[in-house]
Amino acid sequence: MTDSLIELEDIGKFYGNIIALQGVTTSVRAGEVTCVLGDNGAGKSTFIKILSGVHQHDAGEFRFEGTPVRFNSPREALDRGIAAVYQDLAMVPLMSVWRNFFLGAEPSKGVWPIRWVDKKKASETAKAEMAKMGIDIRDTEQPVGTLSGGERQSVAIARAVHFGAKVLILDEPTSALGVRQSGVVLKYILAAAERGLGVIFITHNPAHAYPVGDRFLILNRGKSMGNFAKEEISQAELTQKMAGGAELEQLQHELAQVTGG
Amino acid sequence: MTESVAAEHDIDVTIDAEEAAAIAAETEATAVAGADERLAYRGVFQRLLIRPEVGAIIGAAAIWAFFWAVASEFGKATGFASIMDVSATLGIMAVAVSLLMIGGEFDLSSGAATGALGIVTILLVKDIGELGGAGLSLHIAIPLSLIVALGLGFFNGTMVERTGLPSFIVTLATFFILRGFKLGFSKLIIDNISVGRIDEAQGRGYEFWRPIFDGVWARNDHELGIRDALWLLGFTVGGALIGIAIYEMNHKRREHLNPIGLAVMAVGIVGGAATIAYMHNSDGRSANTLAVVLLAASVLAGFVGLCLWRYEPQRVGITYYSRETLILTVAGVGCVAAGILVTGALEVESQQSVLDLVGGLQWPLMIAGGLVGAYRVWDRRDRGQNQKQMIRSALTAGAIGASVAFGIYSFMFMTTEQGLRAILLGVLVLAGFLSLAIAAYRAGAVAPIARGLVLLVTALMGLWLAWFIQGSSSSPKFRTEAFSVILLVSLLIAVWGVTSTLFTTRRHDDHHAERLAGTIAKIGVAVLGVGIVARLLFTTAEEQAAGETNPANYRMSVLWFIGITILATWMLGSTKFGSWIFAVGGNKQAARQIGVPAARTKTQLFMLVSVAAWLVGLLLAFRLNTLQSGTGNGLEFEYIIAAVVGGTLLTGGYGSAFGAAIGAIIMAMSKQGIPAARWNSDWRFAFLGIILLSAVIANNFIKNKAESAGR
Repeated sequence: MTDSLIELEDIGKFYGNIIALQGVTTSVRAGEVTCVLGDNGAGKSTFIKILSGVHQHDAGEFRFEGTPVRFNSPREALDRGIAAVYQDLAMVPLMSVWRNFFLGAEPSKGVWPIRWVDKKKASETAKAEMAKMGIDIRDTEQPVGTLSGGERQSVAIARAVHFGAKVLILDEPTSALGVRQSGVVLKYILAAAERGLGVIFITHNPAHAYPVGDRFLILNRGKSMGNFAKEEISQAELTQKMAGGAELEQLQHELAQVTGG
Repeated sequence: MTESVAAEHDIDVTIDAEEAAAIAAETEATAVAGADERLAYRGVFQRLLIRPEVGAIIGAAAIWAFFWAVASEFGKATGFASIMDVSATLGIMAVAVSLLMIGGEFDLSSGAATGALGIVTILLVKDIGELGGAGLSLHIAIPLSLIVALGLGFFNGTMVERTGLPSFIVTLATFFILRGFKLGFSKLIIDNISVGRIDEAQGRGYEFWRPIFDGVWARNDHELGIRDALWLLGFTVGGALIGIAIYEMNHKRREHLNPIGLAVMAVGIVGGAATIAYMHNSDGRSANTLAVVLLAASVLAGFVGLCLWRYEPQRVGITYYSRETLILTVAGVGCVAAGILVTGALEVESQQSVLDLVGGLQWPLMIAGGLVGAYRVWDRRDRGQNQKQMIRSALTAGAIGASVAFGIYSFMFMTTEQGLRAILLGVLVLAGFLSLAIAAYRAGAVAPIARGLVLLVTALMGLWLAWFIQGSSSSPKFRTEAFSVILLVSLLIAVWGVTSTLFTTRRHDDHHAERLAGTIAKIGVAVLGVGIVARLLFTTAEEQAAGETNPANYRMSVLWFIGITILATWMLGSTKFGSWIFAVGGNKQAARQIGVPAARTKTQLFMLVSVAAWLVGLLLAFRLNTLQSGTGNGLEFEYIIAAVVGGTLLTGGYGSAFGAAIGAIIMAMSKQGIPAARWNSDWRFAFLGIILLSAVIANNFIKNKAESAGR
């Protein structure tokens, strides 16, 4: 298990007397995609926040590259190589692709106080990094707002990868996208894993998770409903477990009664 | 490290068969989508129009042309100097304010701050005595007031950031505080609302600082014999280079160059140069007819040669006119013709006010306007609107009609019959050419040859207009200059019509062509710039002899203005800080998430504005010697207008410092142009309002058009 980037054992998080997360165990390996599935309120956000350093866990052990860690800030997690790409993508729509790509970390030339951004290098790097993700951005000067949702997602992913991420956390990257766009983003997720990153893919859509995932962690009401490798579970089981298993059966039964079936 | 990892891995994404099958349902169309998800190629005009400052430059040129036609001061060294003088202080502030607005904030205290910081400086240097003041040396007072300025900006920025209140409210408060302080402290310290004089600091640094803030570069009699030749050369060569650059950008290159084209182009260039030189030395109509034919042939040869030499020919398909195109073309031709014929019929050189002619007709006019509006609605009655909607639109249309009529009426107050002719011609011709332009645009979507024909018709109308102006105007600036410009533009439109039909437009990326075109365009702009500068900075012997030149003085403020515009443009476009300004204005949350110090950036922007106010305060103090306590109050809106006219988005995240500078020049032109045109300057603000509204609408329209057309 030494090639695991992240190992979590019995992780728990409490907000006062509310148990937000309990008994979560999973691992993320380089080159693999770990999917975190759960319905609304299942504890997915708490899970991401612990991994990305926004919150700290209250129970269990969080090991990064074999050593127990506890991040105090997102910056700290980022410095270790855990990058989170949130739903809103942190992009400025009216700014060009390369400016967004390097925002906050622009490569500079010149001597202080006369320093300027090395536009050529930035533009070329952005283009090359995007090409590695499998998309050809013809003109890195075009505003991000003119890109499609999937392309924007890929800019965010490529940016995280370029700035040295080892683990990429994607928070619901497909939830706002159409079917075709979602497919494109799933391809980028595989591309990122292919490049040796550990990917944590958070979603509530088993149909998106199953094709790309190597490992599935299912959360329900703050508890882990199991942590499976791909060969241990089918998509149907995954869907059922995610929606709460027995509860869903109950619901189906009730629905059948109502509709007179 | 990441890069080396990436390099080792294959770029291609390999998905194993099982997974591929699983996601097949969702990625079915990915292969196809790969092409259509990317942006369509954006043509050269779309890319130009989307830049914030381009609209402002076009607007400035239009307003300049307008005042050039109606006022004699424009287009001469003197007029230009006074425009620059007025725009300098306005422009320095507008540039700083545009940076702040791009960063998503407003500063309503910026106007009052200019006066306040000037007053602070003067109070610091005033002699201690019965009148009060600190009696410091200017070497100390100037840095001290700079510190006050930085503090003011820091206060504004910190208040906005800490409280999270809109900057509109916070700086409105600062505005009133400053206003009170200015009046209160002036009265308290020197018991006077006019604070002076800064030249009391003589012997205490005045001699050192004065040239920096109020040096004057007098251009009273700077004669340059070759001025007009230089202007003509700059205009034609620069224009031709820009034209070539546009062609290079717009057309698809052919694989092998065709030397015959080069030869044709050379013939065109030589012929064009010879004709222009010949035309420049003659003002007679008979000589011009020959010259124009030669010029047309040369320009056509030049550009067709260029196209033959470099670009892929296109097979001309069948012509197809849509009914819409046909109607628009006929309407356009009709409008231009009507304008020319009606104006020709009104051949009266009368300075009499039009009001005397129509006397007392204002009420009938307004009622007629209202009736026209009401009729519009009546006409549409059976198109499925309910009664309430109908009444509402009847009221709107009536109001529009009445106000248009009132506008026409009030315009007559200011204008003479001669002016009315010019306005009538201007409006009809503008409407006609607009209609023709739309026709060409719509036709282009259907068949290139239809567009080519519409463009040729447009060019013919342009030629007729040029001839008409040359024949019917008494003023030499119309007879030669306007004539030449309209002629040249018509020729270029005709040539564009021909080449865009015969040669292929590029619809894909070509970095080589774009780089080459960029270089050519830069050289073209520089050459054109030399021509314009020569034209605006120098006088000729004839003008001197005719006594047409008043002293033209350039003050240091103009240099500061130019310097700050260049600095701000560079900062915005090329530095980290510039990127951060766009980011905090465009999406502050995202900027912060990704590590941009958003609060610090915004505070620095507020400080930048107050430093600009400090500079303007000093410029005013040295210039006027005595400042009133009300100096600068209320000007903050002019800065904002200049920034918006220059293409800055009110909501932040988009704009240009250079555009704001152009916006300031537009404002100054209207300030100077209205009195120069001998209009009642009470109407200045109405004019400013109209400019602001049309600029915002035009910017919005252009941006939407350019963005949507690219998709």
